[in-house]
Amino acid sequence: MTLDQLLTDTKPALSQIYNQDLPELSEAKDWQSKYRILMHLGRKLPPIPEKMKQPSLLVKGCESRAWLMHYYNQHQDQHFFVLDSEARIVKGLMAIMLCLVNGMSNSELKKFDLAHAFDKLNLKPYLSQSRGSGLNAMMVRIKECCH
Amino acid sequence: MQPFDPVNFRGQFEFFQHNPDWVYLDNAATMHKPNAVVNAMSAFYQRSNSNVHRGAHTLSQKATRAFEQARDDIAAFINASERQQIVFCSGATAALNQIAFGLMHTVLKAGDHVLITALEHHANIVPWQLHCARYGVTLDVVPLDANHKVDQQAFSQLLQHKPKVVSFSHISNVLGHIQPVAQMISQAKAAGALAVIDGAQGIVHDSIDVQALDADFYVWSGHKLYGPTGIGVLYGKTAALELLTPIFGGGEMISEVQFSHSLFNILPFRLEAGTPDIAGAIGLAAAINWLQDINRKEMKNYKAMLLNQFFEGLNKIGGLDILSSPVHNAGIVALNVQGEHPADVAELLNQQAVAVRGGQHCAMPFFNQLGLAGAVRFSFAPYNNEADVATSLQALTQAVEILTA
Repeated sequence: MTLDQLLTDTKPALSQIYNQDLPELSEAKDWQSKYRILMHLGRKLPPIPEKMKQPSLLVKGCESRAWLMHYYNQHQDQHFFVLDSEARIVKGLMAIMLCLVNGMSNSELKKFDLAHAFDKLNLKPYLSQSRGSGLNAMMVRIKECCH
Repeated sequence: MQPFDPVNFRGQFEFFQHNPDWVYLDNAATMHKPNAVVNAMSAFYQRSNSNVHRGAHTLSQKATRAFEQARDDIAAFINASERQQIVFCSGATAALNQIAFGLMHTVLKAGDHVLITALEHHANIVPWQLHCARYGVTLDVVPLDANHKVDQQAFSQLLQHKPKVVSFSHISNVLGHIQPVAQMISQAKAAGALAVIDGAQGIVHDSIDVQALDADFYVWSGHKLYGPTGIGVLYGKTAALELLTPIFGGGEMISEVQFSHSLFNILPFRLEAGTPDIAGAIGLAAAINWLQDINRKEMKNYKAMLLNQFFEGLNKIGGLDILSSPVHNAGIVALNVQGEHPADVAELLNQQAVAVRGGQHCAMPFFNQLGLAGAVRFSFAPYNNEADVATSLQALTQAVEILTA
């Protein structure tokens, strides 16, 4: 498995999450359904193989461990990320984050506002747990990939 | 002394009136404060606020009397033989840092050993690591046995290294297991070591008699014992406290300052640099005075009854790995849903307004040994009730259902 392959596998998963799961999530009535959907969409992301989980990829700042890989396509000025988390709810939330940022140009990513984007998707309630879950730490790490 | 009445007891915590929907089972992290504590602190700020020990005026003398009375009350609470043995600090972490720093050079020299256990909170690991590394002192760790308890045989063996200091927790903050603390202290002392006890959980569970325990140091935090955050107690035998080099310099702790050198004040002030947490000390004294007015034995039995109910309920939920043992347990249950991350379980409980802690509980080395990402910790207090037990069991059942669906 290479980063290239992971990126290739991640792409259709993200578009499915964006087109199918996100509308479903914003329409879900009770918290049980919401969390079932969140965990389900986390499962759609291809996991980073254990062998590739180098310590340098580890994102600190959460109770559960999460890993981030980055690729920047210079010709097309596009950032791509692959991520994984050992906690399922966090992975689901991070998958949504990936839907929003993958493929962004450097300047788009620089000014990206996670809170605002989650608000627009009616996902703001999930942000309240972002500090503990490491969502913010992941966002900081993503932004550090900008130049 | 009043008998313990669970309904009346819970009624003294205004927090529950403002948060009627929550089941609070994160008591090992911090406890709620009874009105007696909140009122004592407000009254101090509103009526008696002044700095202590230095004002020529009557107001300062009044504040000083209240602050020093708090010291007396706390000394009596743990049966310390002298008031100067109670040193105020910000909490158990600060106390352990003071002890680890303070014993270097005076007691611990290059080549010496310090002994801790594999069950310790980071606060009883990292201060030793920091200072041991700087002074060439070796830090030894007693491993755990198959039941996640401190391996007593290994403890005896490691004492043969003649550690100068042995430091361990009275009660595990992760599992709730009560250590055979009196026996371990006497073994440590027989081996010629100073015995340091992290009493952050121990002080909450039972009445402590420091003279009977015979520990050289016993440290705890106020906020885990119905008191305010920011205040804690470093108890030490007078001779042991005299061995400590102050970690902080500043006002209050000196008797004479020249640019070439300073002369230190007497105990306990020598170890209390700067303006102390006056309101915190008064709040903590209010907590223990309030607590002493209630039958603590009945309170302890009630908490044990809740814990038993909880354990019984857990047995009916499949797919759990329960790390804590119900035997010699101070009211803490650490568990995992098989194959699931504790953060997910804790979040699903949070969604159901059940407050627990999920993760490594400041005890990473412990979980690394077990190869676990952490655990979900339910910690009980006497203001919890049977409804809390039932609701949390129901919420856990629901979480398991969602996770394994």
